[in-house]
Amino acid sequence: MLDQALSFIVARGRPISIAAWCLCALLAGCGQPNRANQPLPPLDVMAFQPLFQENCAGCHGTTGQMGPAPPLNDALFLRVVTDQELNEVIKNGRPGTLMPGFGFNPGLTLSAKQVDVLVKGIRAEWPSSPREFSGTLPPYATDAKGDATRGAQAFALACARCHGAKGEGTDTAGAINDGAFLKLVSDQFLRRIVITGRPDLGMPDYRQQITEPEARALTDQEITDIVALLASWRTSDSFAQEPAPGATKP
Amino acid sequence: MKRGWVLQTLNWFEHRLGMRDQVLEALNHPVPKNTGWWYVFGSASVTLLTIQLLTGVLLTMVYVPTPDLAYQTIEYISYEQFLGWYVRAVHSWSGNAMMVMVLLHMTQVYLWGAYKYPRELTWVVGCFLFVFLLGFLFSGQVLRFDSSSYWGIGVGAAMAGRVPLIGPALVHLLLGGETIGGETLSRFYALHVFVLPALLLGFLGIHLLLVMRQGVSAPPFPAKRTDKETYDKVYERELAEGEPFAPDPLAKDVIFSALIVLVVFVLAAVYGVGLNELPADPTIINANPRPDWPFLPLFALLSLCPPWMETFVILVLPVAGFAFLVSIPFVSGTGERSPWRRPVGTIGVVVGVVLMIVLGWLGAVAPWSPAMEAWSGTPIPERMVESLSPTQLVGAVVFQNKNCRNCHALDGQGGTRGPDLTTVATRLTKEELVRQVVQGGGNMPAYGKQLSSANVEALVAFLATLHPEGIAPAKPSVEPITGPLAGGDNAKDDKTEVARDQ
Repeated sequence: MLDQALSFIVARGRPISIAAWCLCALLAGCGQPNRANQPLPPLDVMAFQPLFQENCAGCHGTTGQMGPAPPLNDALFLRVVTDQELNEVIKNGRPGTLMPGFGFNPGLTLSAKQVDVLVKGIRAEWPSSPREFSGTLPPYATDAKGDATRGAQAFALACARCHGAKGEGTDTAGAINDGAFLKLVSDQFLRRIVITGRPDLGMPDYRQQITEPEARALTDQEITDIVALLASWRTSDSFAQEPAPGATKP
Repeated sequence: MKRGWVLQTLNWFEHRLGMRDQVLEALNHPVPKNTGWWYVFGSASVTLLTIQLLTGVLLTMVYVPTPDLAYQTIEYISYEQFLGWYVRAVHSWSGNAMMVMVLLHMTQVYLWGAYKYPRELTWVVGCFLFVFLLGFLFSGQVLRFDSSSYWGIGVGAAMAGRVPLIGPALVHLLLGGETIGGETLSRFYALHVFVLPALLLGFLGIHLLLVMRQGVSAPPFPAKRTDKETYDKVYERELAEGEPFAPDPLAKDVIFSALIVLVVFVLAAVYGVGLNELPADPTIINANPRPDWPFLPLFALLSLCPPWMETFVILVLPVAGFAFLVSIPFVSGTGERSPWRRPVGTIGVVVGVVLMIVLGWLGAVAPWSPAMEAWSGTPIPERMVESLSPTQLVGAVVFQNKNCRNCHALDGQGGTRGPDLTTVATRLTKEELVRQVVQGGGNMPAYGKQLSSANVEALVAFLATLHPEGIAPAKPSVEPITGPLAGGDNAKDDKTEVARDQ
């Protein structure tokens, strides 16, 4: 039996062909490790995609949009925000919101260079065409104080259609008078969302919020006033609460 | 003329060494009939050992066992040196293949009852060889000096530290100091290239001597019992009816060894062995250390056992396991040898193998370890984000920001320490979700002190959306009364009560 097995193997020339394959594999070096596949220490990662996917995608989405946090892959946002502001927010986080600082907190450390890579990468990956947004754009941040009463008028004009007269939400869009929501976002967050909308989730930007018959863009002042109105809901108990299902309306 | 010169040289050596008879005897010594292909695992292990020695020597010529150079020299071997990667790959694949061959060899010897009289000592020496092999694999992992080896030594030292009385001294001996450093690496290097090879080769010599002296056992047959009184005579008869070791049984050994070597060479050429981990660096906290596969079952056992059992698993279990292995031929040194007539032993092997595979798989997956990067690196599935309200969106950010994702997966992505929450709203009502988040329960810690009420509210608003389309979210078992009873007078009564309370 052994003789048969041996002669079978030899007759079919298997050892030679296997050895030939083996030699080919060796010469091709297909098993040779590639330095590019070697993991890098966290602080040595200097490519945009790995940095973004590892640190940002969790909240801002794999493609910089469709995440629960505001999209970074947003042409209007990238038009109004400056590199310095982006840099600052990545490093120190956004006080009053859930955006953590990645620059200094132990355990969430990104080096200053890596933060630069992220800022440059966000710009390069999702370029914002200047032609698309001509004219004066509302500034990303402002020191101006808004007026909640005027804000209510602007709100009725621009926001109430989808978010309800008192921000209680409609079938089109959710409530924005909710205490938990307002406590977890800053005025700057609200300003940014009023300006840019959430195009990935279907919310229009400041130019399309006021519909027919007036159909014009919100002014910088109106944006500031709407933010002031929303901010006043944050601290006040006067806003209309969404009635619990089945309960009688007051 | 030429032939005569070769023969003359051989004769010159033979005249001085006098080994021809031993060699011929070894080749011609009779072995029982029908040994088949089951007896090849031992010789394959020895063949792989020679490959280990050869490749090991080659690696030693380049590798430098210091903390700053160990990883670097492996990088040099892998990327720069001509075919260095292949030598390292063969060393790695062949070492692992040797472990597999040794496990098969031990299982075969056990199932065939070949450890019984008069081969008890062969088995005992073999058990020591197995322990040395484990030592090789562990110290070899340490020499890589990557994050797994760094934390591996840490675990090893912590285990040694639990030994009563001499624990601290043992840790000092193992690490060459109080912390893992250059001395530690030197010690494991000495162990891997001097101490263990010497021990292994010495014990292997005894093992092979015993194999030659006692001969290989005949394949077992049910009801053919081993008896100390009669065995020697029976074996003599078996040998008389047997065949010489050369050529057939020898050829089987050679063919199988060649096949295994070929497999190792091909695997090493095709898959190689990468540098898949970061260098040892305790400041990198997102390392994900795992022991090499032979230690995964122990790793899983240690991770899964309750704290009160740890010392037992660490100190008693390995010693008891080794004592158990060694004692086997003394407990059942005679009697039935066929696995079909030794149900307890055979079932024990099956159970043991299944247990090791399951524990090994658990150790490889390690579902008890949180996915430390998930909170920032694993996105909320887009289909879940699409229809969320502003509060729910912020709640989803809370879910990521407060590291819930590190233990809880969504759509199978994320940690596996806690349950997947893709459809949690079908299981828990909003009130139950709040209670679970704030107070914890099961294996989950209470997060009440780490979350503001707004955090909890938004988080639960998000979690309450996690139910498949068409399947209603969970409802409280007692619904609040709605309809005519809830309005009118009753409602007024409620209000007056509230007013009175205030």
